[in-house]
Amino acid sequence: MTAAIELTGITKRFPGVIANDNVNLTVEKGEIHAVCGENGAGKSTLMKILYGMQAPDEGTMKVNGELVNFSSPTDAIDRGIGMVHQHFMLADQLTVLENIILGAEPTVSGGRINFKEAEAHLSQVADEYGLTIDVNQMVESLEVGERQRVEIIKVLYRGAEILILDEPTAVLVPQEVEALFENMRELKASGATILFIDHKLDEVLEISDSMTVLRHGKTVATMKNDGVTAHELAELMVGSELPTPDTSESTVTDDVALELKDLTVLNEDGRQVVHDINLRIHRGEIVGIAGVEGNGQGELVDAIIGTADIASGTVSFHGRDITRESVRKRREAGLAYVPEDRHHEGLLLSSPLWENAALGHQTQSPYGSNWWLDRDGARAQTELIREQFDVRTPNIDVSAHALSGGNQQKLIIGRELTSDPEVLVAAHPTRGIDVGAQAAVWDDIRAARRNGLATLLISADLDELIGLSDTIVVMLRGEFVATLAPADVTPRDLGAYMTGAALQNGGAA
Amino acid sequence: MIAKLNDLPAWARWALYAAFGVLLLTIVQSISDTERLTQVATAREMLRFAVPIFLAGLGGLFSERAGVVNIGLEGMLILGMWFGAWGSITYGAWWGLAIGIFGGMLGGLLHAIATVTFQVDHIISGVAINILAPAITRYLSEEIWASPTTSPRTSAVGDWDVPFLAGGTVFGWESPDLLLTISQWEIWYLSDLAQLSRGLLRGTSWVAIIAIALVPFTVWLIWRTRFGLRLRICGEKPAAGEAQGINIIRYKYIAVIISGGLAGLGGAFISTELSGLFQGGNSAGRGFIGLAALIFGNWRPGGVLLGALLFGYVFGLDLRDLDGTASHAMLLVNAIAFAGVGLWAFTRRRKADTIIAAILGVGALFWWIVADTVPSWWSNTLPYVVVLLVLVFFAQRLRMPVSLGMPYRKGET
Repeated sequence: MTAAIELTGITKRFPGVIANDNVNLTVEKGEIHAVCGENGAGKSTLMKILYGMQAPDEGTMKVNGELVNFSSPTDAIDRGIGMVHQHFMLADQLTVLENIILGAEPTVSGGRINFKEAEAHLSQVADEYGLTIDVNQMVESLEVGERQRVEIIKVLYRGAEILILDEPTAVLVPQEVEALFENMRELKASGATILFIDHKLDEVLEISDSMTVLRHGKTVATMKNDGVTAHELAELMVGSELPTPDTSESTVTDDVALELKDLTVLNEDGRQVVHDINLRIHRGEIVGIAGVEGNGQGELVDAIIGTADIASGTVSFHGRDITRESVRKRREAGLAYVPEDRHHEGLLLSSPLWENAALGHQTQSPYGSNWWLDRDGARAQTELIREQFDVRTPNIDVSAHALSGGNQQKLIIGRELTSDPEVLVAAHPTRGIDVGAQAAVWDDIRAARRNGLATLLISADLDELIGLSDTIVVMLRGEFVATLAPADVTPRDLGAYMTGAALQNGGAA
Repeated sequence: MIAKLNDLPAWARWALYAAFGVLLLTIVQSISDTERLTQVATAREMLRFAVPIFLAGLGGLFSERAGVVNIGLEGMLILGMWFGAWGSITYGAWWGLAIGIFGGMLGGLLHAIATVTFQVDHIISGVAINILAPAITRYLSEEIWASPTTSPRTSAVGDWDVPFLAGGTVFGWESPDLLLTISQWEIWYLSDLAQLSRGLLRGTSWVAIIAIALVPFTVWLIWRTRFGLRLRICGEKPAAGEAQGINIIRYKYIAVIISGGLAGLGGAFISTELSGLFQGGNSAGRGFIGLAALIFGNWRPGGVLLGALLFGYVFGLDLRDLDGTASHAMLLVNAIAFAGVGLWAFTRRRKADTIIAAILGVGALFWWIVADTVPSWWSNTLPYVVVLLVLVFFAQRLRMPVSLGMPYRKGET
């Protein structure tokens, strides 16, 4: 039997880097094949080449035994290849239906889109795989899991037989991952071939039939999923064992650093997205918030750092009411913030590193005073961050987008922690960065805790929450529905609370 | 009641808004010493001013929906003016319009080459076109008409009176002029409404009719067709379109060229219909005001038309308002509008907006009380002031294309 996909000797160079170096990949028909590797191992580049978004410098590609040469995704789509991107390729201000049919619109005379036919075809596809979605909503109103579903339906709508899923589980809770895997198995049963990128080893081992491991742009192994252990896979991926966040001794004190009282936040429509939240975080304590995205975590963070209006309730900082104070006042008082989306809120991508390091601290020594930036001071401090937090960069004058995701995040963590903060609000601090950088970030947060930092940690990575937190609270529909001790909770339990399943079964906290 | 209003079909809702607007004008007029606010000629001038503004704004809509900022509309309008005049003189009126469109398209093509292919900043390219266009047309005028500033007389495509409502002829038979009859009854409000309507329906330029027809056509094209969906993805998330095999660059080119063509039609209208000749400077910044109408109209065709008519009304009124009394009455309209906005902001508990609206409203009222006339610079400034205020009060409700003005390179996500 010919393979569905056969890539031979693929090489792709970018200025200064070789993203893919003589990569080989063979995917049999009807299998789920995982491509794993650290961030920067060249997985995404390889997938882009396979999907026709980039042309390889060297190497050949065969699809179903035929030699192909893609110059655009259209060519790939014509060959039955569909891709679900890691960063969703959805337009917020278009409807679900418009997003799905884009590029494959059924039309009648005059180029008019036949929306009826599109909807009919769509609901047929959706029913077949048990994926439901309201097609006339704007995408901007959807949550992450729903957006992913739209992306998958989009690919199925085109009748793709070879699906590329680029880190599909990154933003899902265990139950959603389970649902996704169920869908993947159904797809496989109906004859589809799935190429699946992931770096979570347990998931890879659970779902895939075979896997290919990339490291530094090279293929290091291809194997069947029979008897391979997570340990072996980890060693192949990183060359050393995977770090895990271990809970260490408690450093929690009695001194309340951040207190929220009856905090309520409304969204633009006047709906309560954060509802009567009460929370105390002590010096030396990490409180983790678990929850499916879109349950008010973002608004809670905004309320604490001062970018959202607080409808009622108070935020206080060492007993001082800061509910009405500006973001800058709060930051000057010692509030540090690691934002969820480092590209949008964390960095100025086209500015040099030392300017980025000064962001949010521009009014404070050593970066500057009220009016003036202190260039020398800022540069010296940036060098210090670079050294202490192992930010790998040629120098501090390169712009932030030249850094890998992990190094960008280390810069942000360094910027926030070197300002001697009292309270840290960290939203998804290790999202989308490789295991090495992840371990470094965990160590940094733990070290800061030992020095008395009070931390509010929001994360979708449940192992991270369990490993780092002293207390875990679960947020559902804007409320805290459970308070759990990390020592006796598993990711599965947490997932049950997060989706509300545990509460329906009477297992309330 | 508001819920019921939203249940009405769009045309009925708009008609209701228009009727309400005229009611406001009539009330203000009853307590002012002017009659110009609701005269036939005011409506006619409004339409004549509004057509090129609308066409430029609609051109901006095509370009910006595809993600390209088009501040070069003014230059494309000027190219349309010259080519329209030249075409009209050389081949006749309808050819004049076609050649005017072509001239604008050349400007659009230039803008597309600069911004889409060479990634030039959209504002810089647009400003360059605005500088280039008057210079080129001046040179061409000198070469062809031996005069750098003016052309010979052009011919126009003519106009049309709507039968029955405004006394148009049907197969040679002169139909009754219903609106004229109603105006002559001199009933408060009803006759004012009839006069304004008659100004729009009698002696209406074919270009104006085409322009109005472009509203539903554009809605259909942009929101109902494959072409429109693909054009919109260029302005919303081009990478998503590219991932589905859409040639983003091609759509951007088409959109910007259409944009230039529409501005060119607006320019041809100015030279062949409004002034009857090409004259440098006659564009009078209408391309920029078109851009203002685009923002005012929230990047939607109906909104752009509304903005163009609003601005056209202010200009048209000013043109016929030699003693400044009508513009003075407009101050009271402004004050009432601010009161409305302030009330709206108050019910939404937007404190800052309420205060700003109250201050501006009281300011306009105060000005109205102390002055008898208003200088004409006020009318020329008003469109920009209106757009600034729209941005102040309604910025959160404006939905500009997400990727507007962002550089796009193939294969980069």
